[in-house]
Amino acid sequence: MIQSKKTRSKKTNSNKKTAINPNTKEQIESLKQLFSAEINKDFCHRTVFVNFNKKNAYLFYYSSIVNSDKIEQAIVRPLLEHDGETYENVLTNESFKIIDTLEQVIDHINSGKVVIFSEGEAVAYSLDVAQFQHRNVSPSANESVVRGPQEAFTESLHVNISLIRKQIRDKQLITTASTVGKRSKQDVTLIYIADLVNKEVLQDVEERLRDINTDNVRNVELLEQFLEERPYSIFPSIYYTERPDNAAAYIEDGHIVLLMDSSSACLILPVTFFTFFQSPEDRYSRFMFGNFSRIVRIIGFYLTTMISATYVALANYHSEMIPLDLMLAITSSRERVPFPLIIEVLIMEVAFELIREAGIRIPSALGPTIGIVGALILGQAAVEANIISPIIVIVSALSGLTSFAISDVSLNYTVRITRFMFIIAAGFMGMLTLMGALLLWIMYAASLKSFGVPYLSPVAPTFRSPKDTIFRKAIRNEHFRPGQLRPKDMRKK
Amino acid sequence: MTYKKLMVLFLFTLPLLTSCYDKIELEQQSYVVALGIDKGEDKGSYTFSFQIANPEVGSTMATAGSSEEPKETVSILGSDIITATSLANSFVTKKIMLDHMKIIVVSEEVARSEGFIRVIQSASRIPQIRGSVQIVVSKERASQFLKKNKPTMETRPHKYFQYMLQRAQQTGIIPDADIHRFFQITEGDADLFLAIYATTMKEENKTNTKKDHDYLAGEIPKQGGNPTQFMGSAVFKEGMMIDTLTGEDTRLCNILDKTVDMDELFVSFPDPIKPTYQVGFNYAQSSEPKVNINYDNKANHASIDVVVPFELEIIAIPSMVDYALNQDEQNQLIQKFEQTIEAKTNQLITKSQETYGSDPFYWSLYIRKFFKDVPAYEKGDWNKKIFPNAAIHVDYQLKRLTFGKMINDSKIEEVRD
Repeated sequence: MIQSKKTRSKKTNSNKKTAINPNTKEQIESLKQLFSAEINKDFCHRTVFVNFNKKNAYLFYYSSIVNSDKIEQAIVRPLLEHDGETYENVLTNESFKIIDTLEQVIDHINSGKVVIFSEGEAVAYSLDVAQFQHRNVSPSANESVVRGPQEAFTESLHVNISLIRKQIRDKQLITTASTVGKRSKQDVTLIYIADLVNKEVLQDVEERLRDINTDNVRNVELLEQFLEERPYSIFPSIYYTERPDNAAAYIEDGHIVLLMDSSSACLILPVTFFTFFQSPEDRYSRFMFGNFSRIVRIIGFYLTTMISATYVALANYHSEMIPLDLMLAITSSRERVPFPLIIEVLIMEVAFELIREAGIRIPSALGPTIGIVGALILGQAAVEANIISPIIVIVSALSGLTSFAISDVSLNYTVRITRFMFIIAAGFMGMLTLMGALLLWIMYAASLKSFGVPYLSPVAPTFRSPKDTIFRKAIRNEHFRPGQLRPKDMRKK
Repeated sequence: MTYKKLMVLFLFTLPLLTSCYDKIELEQQSYVVALGIDKGEDKGSYTFSFQIANPEVGSTMATAGSSEEPKETVSILGSDIITATSLANSFVTKKIMLDHMKIIVVSEEVARSEGFIRVIQSASRIPQIRGSVQIVVSKERASQFLKKNKPTMETRPHKYFQYMLQRAQQTGIIPDADIHRFFQITEGDADLFLAIYATTMKEENKTNTKKDHDYLAGEIPKQGGNPTQFMGSAVFKEGMMIDTLTGEDTRLCNILDKTVDMDELFVSFPDPIKPTYQVGFNYAQSSEPKVNINYDNKANHASIDVVVPFELEIIAIPSMVDYALNQDEQNQLIQKFEQTIEAKTNQLITKSQETYGSDPFYWSLYIRKFFKDVPAYEKGDWNKKIFPNAAIHVDYQLKRLTFGKMINDSKIEEVRD
């Protein structure tokens, strides 16, 4: 199942280790130089006279990413006042660590820890006092639901993991970390249920994370592009969501979730086409209601990809298929329009995309303007100026609005690009080329794989599954996990 | 340039060669709604009339075309339909499209001539003309028919033809006469094809003695409205018109022909007890008639038993005879009705056996199973030997009689005392 990956020439990581110099004076001087202490304003170094061994201790940290109260409470005061024999006795913080290479020292300082050098010792002590700033947990903005939990991920790994653990209280829920980036080392946390997840998929993901060869991967949005198999494909192969409940649901089915400290979303893999097609609310609503909204979404999917193209094909090549009344209406309105019909359609589709793009980028204070101008241009004015015919407004508004039924942002782009491909295809030879383009589109989707899982499974090829693809069964009748993932435990009970 | 770039360039330029092969914009076409066929001056030449819909009339665009005619009718001499369209382009601005044509009007003169099947033949050859186009035979010249037809309620001509034919076919006074059926029956060479009969001319001198639906187009005594009348049918034998049938006979044909759908019709016939009055019925063909053929292979003789189950709803009893509650009178009524309709049917069958020598009911369908293969069937010869000599018995059977929402009429003696 797992594709043999291209054997990339692995760059041997420069894993040279430099021991800590027992001559502490020299050591701290070189460290200061390394961090450009003179010009780097938030780099702090303090000297404390330690009570228990009557020697100097040197503290290094970034003041901007640590909790200074915690330094006072947990480090400085114990060192100044407490008695004991070793640092381990005196500093009782749970994250206390002894490190012995310079590389570790640098990593720890960068990730918000305090590193303590004791005079004359060839080791250093590190304590985690990191406090990266982040937002509070807020409602999901882009994947809102009416029925279901409202909270969304925020830009903090700890908070995000806690949001997931809240929903899965399972001892087998594992969070492992791997590091990506050569210059700036970032943690990527993999979350999965150890006795469900397919080991091969897990190994594949870990291997790909190791193979990322770049200076810095700042967030999961960038990570997605480093991980995916086909960067030029129009289909997304990794699911991106900001909803912890969504993530939890996929973890329970045997998927793997990737989190990073600086992203308010997670990546879920491996996935299929139907993952993008579904919304978590389909499952939160009752059987009938959920399936109803699935039907609406199918209609929306069909309309948004095909309606403009079908209109072009019918009007330019198969006018005998249009009812005569409608055709006379179109004809009479088109008699004063200067452009060929396909240009008309493209003008309106492009105008809609422009307004949509501008609507996202426009400062929110100017938001209402876009609505007014957009409605005026797209609606009445363009028709009255005889630039387009009124029916085009209906067609493009329908295809534009129905695209919002596809809630997933990635698939939404797929659908919008597809629409333009279909319109142009329909312009060549009508229904013949339109159907040809549709066929190629489906064939391409069928040829894709996401981390070894066929993109159109469990429909083609067929797998045993919870039967939650286009429609879903009643929740109590779902017996299996998705078979295409080959989970260790197929049964859901 | 690399191989890849060349490939991309090649792929993108390739579609340009297709040049959008048969693409045509909607506004570059003229839509013919009705086609008329008349005799030309020489033998083998015809006058083709195209009735073209004006798209600007009837649209919501307020500024456009409000003073224009809803249709334009042009006539041109030619030898076949398609070449005539290209000749017509010398004065019609756009490409003439026959895709949306609703009817073909043939003048009776052409229909009765030997050349009709030759000129209509091309309709089966060109894909533009649909199989569902209805054939109408007009008493006058087709061009005159199309010009004089001025519907007042439906501005757009195609709407008029669509509604007019649809409703007239539902009531059964005109046959279902699409082009596909014409070729099917004509090439089957066994039955008679019925085309729609229509005219815009009014018969002035007809005595007004006819009752109910026993009219031909043009004979209906009416006032006001569009001069066009669709009534009755033109009988085609072997691709040539031989006779006409009245609306009532056409109804009987529709009842006896299982391949035609007819839902309900209103009829009136003389009251059996007070013959000066008429009784009004709603006749409903609830289930298909059963055509049962017994074929004697040696004598090449067939006996045909037809059972027609039907339902009646009485909608008017102007004589105020108490048919609802008086069983005797009710039986009389039913008997009289069945007798009347059976007599009329037998009359029609005798006429078709003796005069036409073939049947307009498409009954050859039910004899085919008695033959081993096509040559045997052709040897049996339905329309020359079997049908004219067949013993035919038609039995109408009343399945249900209802009296509308009120059983009793006003008691006339008590009202007028």
